[in-house]
Amino acid sequence: MATPSNAILVPATQRGAYNPNRPAGLLLRSQTMHLREALLKHLEELAAVLAIDPKSLKTEGDVSAYIHRATAILHTHGAKPAKK
Amino acid sequence: MSAGLDNLKHIVVLMMENRSFDHMLGGLSLVMENGQKKYPKINGLTGNESNPDTQGAIVKVQPNAKFQGQLDPDPDHHFPGVDLQVYGGAPPGPGRVANMQGFVKDYFTQTNDVNRSHNIMYYFTPDKLPVLSTLATQFAVFNGWFSSIPGPTICNRAFAHYGTSFGQVGMDLFYVLDPIPSIYERMVQANHTAKIYYYDQQSSTMEIVNLLKNQPQIFGSYSQFVDDCASNKLPEYSFIEPCYNDHAGPGGGEILASDQHPDHNVQEGERFIANTYNAIRTNPALWKSTLLLIVYDEHGGIYDHVVPPACTPDGYFAKPADTDTGEAFNFDRLGVRVPAIAVSPYILKGTVVPGPEDPANCRVFEHACIPGTVTNFFLHGDAKQTVREKQANTFLDLLSDQMRSDSDIPFFKLGGQ
Repeated sequence: MATPSNAILVPATQRGAYNPNRPAGLLLRSQTMHLREALLKHLEELAAVLAIDPKSLKTEGDVSAYIHRATAILHTHGAKPAKK
Repeated sequence: MSAGLDNLKHIVVLMMENRSFDHMLGGLSLVMENGQKKYPKINGLTGNESNPDTQGAIVKVQPNAKFQGQLDPDPDHHFPGVDLQVYGGAPPGPGRVANMQGFVKDYFTQTNDVNRSHNIMYYFTPDKLPVLSTLATQFAVFNGWFSSIPGPTICNRAFAHYGTSFGQVGMDLFYVLDPIPSIYERMVQANHTAKIYYYDQQSSTMEIVNLLKNQPQIFGSYSQFVDDCASNKLPEYSFIEPCYNDHAGPGGGEILASDQHPDHNVQEGERFIANTYNAIRTNPALWKSTLLLIVYDEHGGIYDHVVPPACTPDGYFAKPADTDTGEAFNFDRLGVRVPAIAVSPYILKGTVVPGPEDPANCRVFEHACIPGTVTNFFLHGDAKQTVREKQANTFLDLLSDQMRSDSDIPFFKLGGQ
């Protein structure tokens, strides 16, 4: 679609706006705490699955339950990063 | 059913951060044309609204808002701070009346500087915000869209995702207490499509509960949103999160926060809103089948003149220790008013949805209206919903029978750096 002649110009953001050294506010600090909680949940699940000795699994039902939990973890951790 | 509703296939919600209605759009009420108000139905500012400062001086609203550098430190928007802003310092208890007189006093607690505390009364003139002002006047602006809780970000965003914050009034991580699935889970479980698009992995999402529940399939990046718009792969429901921090981009470029959270640059947020609008606007098939809602999660401690109304109690209860005001909260009143704009070619130009200024026609909206509307439309109400959602107004009646012509619809051209 070609830009219409009556398009409204949105100015460039003022120079010098970029400041990665700005102190992080409460929202961002809360976000990091929440992410840490999420990682701990993953760790708990990972630890629970690792605590199971695969040699102890006897039936297809036992094995499939184990595979389910392991695959769910690996799939999540293996999710593709967001495209740039 | 209107033709607009008949054609509707996608709802997109872009939730920005921490700006009040009057701060961003209040100046529209002061625009004059031929000696008369150009937008008389918009419930913005008269120019005479004021707050007392800590010295007792009267501080009027002023058109002095700047894109950046003016609201640092971050204005208070936690429960006790908002209580002071709304009630002017009257102690909690029966009979007190909300008066919106405590914003300057509260910002003084952050700045410790009487002059700087006046900044909280500043607003933008419409020419400073060409994107938001254009969309508000060309499509539908809500005079009565309020944040769901008189408190901060996380609990307010929870209402957009779940229709409740499960009793939270702060920034703590909350856990789903009742079997109320998020709107995304409801959609996916019913074989519909939904996605949360966060900006990138350096910015990530504020919607952590779904991450905790290991549902990476409902997340995507903003670049994926733009691609999905272009390739007709947009889900039925999309929720977009702006960039929440300044960080280096791929190859060392500069990526600015676009959420407009003070003290992030407001112009960058304007560009983000324009980019999101253009992504939908430039695909004709998508444009005619999509409703875009642009809304802010809460007011960020910045002045607004409209007293938040009462609402249906949520069914949850926050203890005095949680509200930090000495008084419990029953989720029976809303937070401060925020900007909200609905965009579609089926929305009549210049639509103003009346709010509390028009008691006979007043329609109050809050963030529970989002999952409420999406559930009603896509799932025909066939999902477990919260009390607030069931009571919430929906906004799809804004879609008319008439699709506006392309020449009548704005397009934004983003200037280079």
